[in-house]
Amino acid sequence: MLYKISVPQVADVEEIRILEWHRQAGEPVAQGDLVVELETHKAIVEVRAGQNGYLRKILAEAGNWQGIGLPLAVLSDGQSEPVPEDVQALVDLPVDFEIT
Amino acid sequence: MSSERRSAMHKMFFREAIARAVREEMRDNPNVLILGQDVGRFGGSYREFDGLFEEFGPERVRDMPVAEPAMVGMGVGAAAAGLRPLVSITYMDFMMLGLDPLINYGAKLRYKTGGQLTAPVVVKTTAGAKGQGVAHSQCIEAWLMSVPGLKVVAPATPADAYGLLKTALRSDGPVVYVDHKRLFPVAGEVPVDEIAIPFGSARLCRSGTDLTITAHSFMVRTALEAAKLLEKAGLSAEVIDLRSLAPLDINTIVASVKRTGRLLTLEEGQITTGVGAEVVTRVMEHLGPIDFTRVGPLPAPVSSNRVLEAACLPDAARVATAARLLQSSGKLVCSN
Amino acid sequence: MPDQNLLTMLRTMKLIRAFEEALAARPDHGFQLISSGEEAVAVGLCASLLPSDQLLTGGRSIGPALARGVDPSRLMAELLGRSSGTNKGKGGRGHLADPARGFFGAHAVVGGNISIAAGVALALQMTGKDAIAAILFGDGAFGAGALHETLNISASMKLPLLFVCNNNQLSVSTPRSQALAPTHLSDIGAAFGIPSQTVDGMDLNAVRKSISKAANHVRAKRGPAFVECISYRFASHSTTARETRTSEELAEIRALCPIVSQSRALKAAGLLNDILAQELDRWVAETVEEALRFADASAMPDAEEALLDVI
Repeated sequence: MLYKISVPQVADVEEIRILEWHRQAGEPVAQGDLVVELETHKAIVEVRAGQNGYLRKILAEAGNWQGIGLPLAVLSDGQSEPVPEDVQALVDLPVDFEIT
Repeated sequence: MSSERRSAMHKMFFREAIARAVREEMRDNPNVLILGQDVGRFGGSYREFDGLFEEFGPERVRDMPVAEPAMVGMGVGAAAAGLRPLVSITYMDFMMLGLDPLINYGAKLRYKTGGQLTAPVVVKTTAGAKGQGVAHSQCIEAWLMSVPGLKVVAPATPADAYGLLKTALRSDGPVVYVDHKRLFPVAGEVPVDEIAIPFGSARLCRSGTDLTITAHSFMVRTALEAAKLLEKAGLSAEVIDLRSLAPLDINTIVASVKRTGRLLTLEEGQITTGVGAEVVTRVMEHLGPIDFTRVGPLPAPVSSNRVLEAACLPDAARVATAARLLQSSGKLVCSN
Repeated sequence: MPDQNLLTMLRTMKLIRAFEEALAARPDHGFQLISSGEEAVAVGLCASLLPSDQLLTGGRSIGPALARGVDPSRLMAELLGRSSGTNKGKGGRGHLADPARGFFGAHAVVGGNISIAAGVALALQMTGKDAIAAILFGDGAFGAGALHETLNISASMKLPLLFVCNNNQLSVSTPRSQALAPTHLSDIGAAFGIPSQTVDGMDLNAVRKSISKAANHVRAKRGPAFVECISYRFASHSTTARETRTSEELAEIRALCPIVSQSRALKAAGLLNDILAQELDRWVAETVEEALRFADASAMPDAEEALLDVI
């Protein structure tokens, strides 16, 4: 199954800047792994995977901006499931996020 | 520094635009320093001074005890004696404590000394309601517009936060620079080049034909939202961001109202003797009687209570309603 | 102290007295605060300052300005509103300024110049100067929050700031004992770790010694110092304020004249005789006369000047 990671709903935040990706496309992701760090106007948000999977496609590179709730990356259970063009319809991968 | 021409742009948070302006000026001039609470290692309440303590050290980025009268007085006195301080007042409500040294000494200094001394101090302060209660929510910039010798500016975008602060830190007299709590989550494009925005220059941010909306600070965003609502209702609103309250760019506003024929002024501060009252009066001095309305908060303190705060503050829907009333009645509309 | 300096200081005290009396005698004197009786404080303070130091005062500024060396003619012109005055006639007594001569300025808001002086001290500190800032204020300002805030900040930042409180024991009509809690106003220093002293403000030599010692502490970059000078003003608070003391009280007070006591002391030390005293008085009279002549020969500002130097 395919999933997307979206920008978490952080209170009082309209958009974020991607600070750093901690996994690259093709790499496995374990539950609890730090996938990406996002910058809000106030703090840094650490986005961790809520379950195991594979990071398949990064939709926005570090330094780019994205709005709350919009997609950042595509993940999948299996290593080689085909990635669709339209990612909006994908289910959101459960994530844990922590504001530091 | 170049004037507002095309430059490569770089998107950043509102606070980063502020930090950038201050950092550049501090690098350029060893006499620029910051006085305030939590400005040092903490980097400012909104991280608006992030990195400056690390780069410039505790002598130039000074944490002060809570003592606004003395802190503003020291800033003004240090400016008179040759430094270029930026005095940070975290909540505009507490500017009131510093008004005596700022106004009775700072703003009057050049005049009272017959030109021998002047106080190039920037008092930077954050206005606006955001759930923090009656003593932490005020927008009182209108009180300052009439002070001879004092300049007052209010950016609404990161680009203007940067450009106006550059100009403020190079001014040769006291400047009050007012930003807003609700602007800090905003990100926007800022020129890569060091482009300062001159004072006394308003910004046309949306062209329109049916009415002119003037606003400043966070209310510019509310005005633009209202303009979108009005567009759906078939009304074309022109939105002008004042940016500079003293000096006020009356010519840009007059030219707009001449075209549209109607004026709606919007502010988060009280409309009684407010910014809008001054704008309307000056426009009429130029154009004669016009159809106008002033939109502002309810005449009440702004409570931290979520329901009451929302009831007090202007929002896009209320602005749009007032604009439609203005357009349909063509007469004076009392907005509260 | 060299004899010549002692004579010069006496002469300056006499100048202050005569200058202010001549000013107050004019029908066009406006609103003035006279410092008769308090000359030793102004002169003793300024004798402890160097040319590059900066002195700030409150509204009782004429004596300190003269003691600091502001030109008496330009000063009189300013007090009488002439555009040839130090402030182009626009400041008057409440805002006299001559920063080029180390008189950063007066400010008419009671206590209003105290934090300003700390700012001047900060500028001196940050630009690596050896000069100090001195702030002269009265017991009337002692209750102001600005003083206490500034004592705290200047102590914690070790600012080169000298606090001199001229306690003439009356704030318009309010006796100091009624308004202020500390036994000695200099007691405030201990709260902030600032070396402080109380001295007899009618004794020129005591004032000068005490303030010089305090100034040296500040000059050595050891932080601020505080001197309280207890004095008496011979006249009411201002030229419009009613006198609150009885004629008996005033007679007792006038007997403490610092000019009389200093003259007596110098005569006793063989440094002054009647001939020298007359020379001093003649110089003073000529200087005051010249100041009045200069002011009277100067024009008032044009109405258009109301809009100059605003912003």
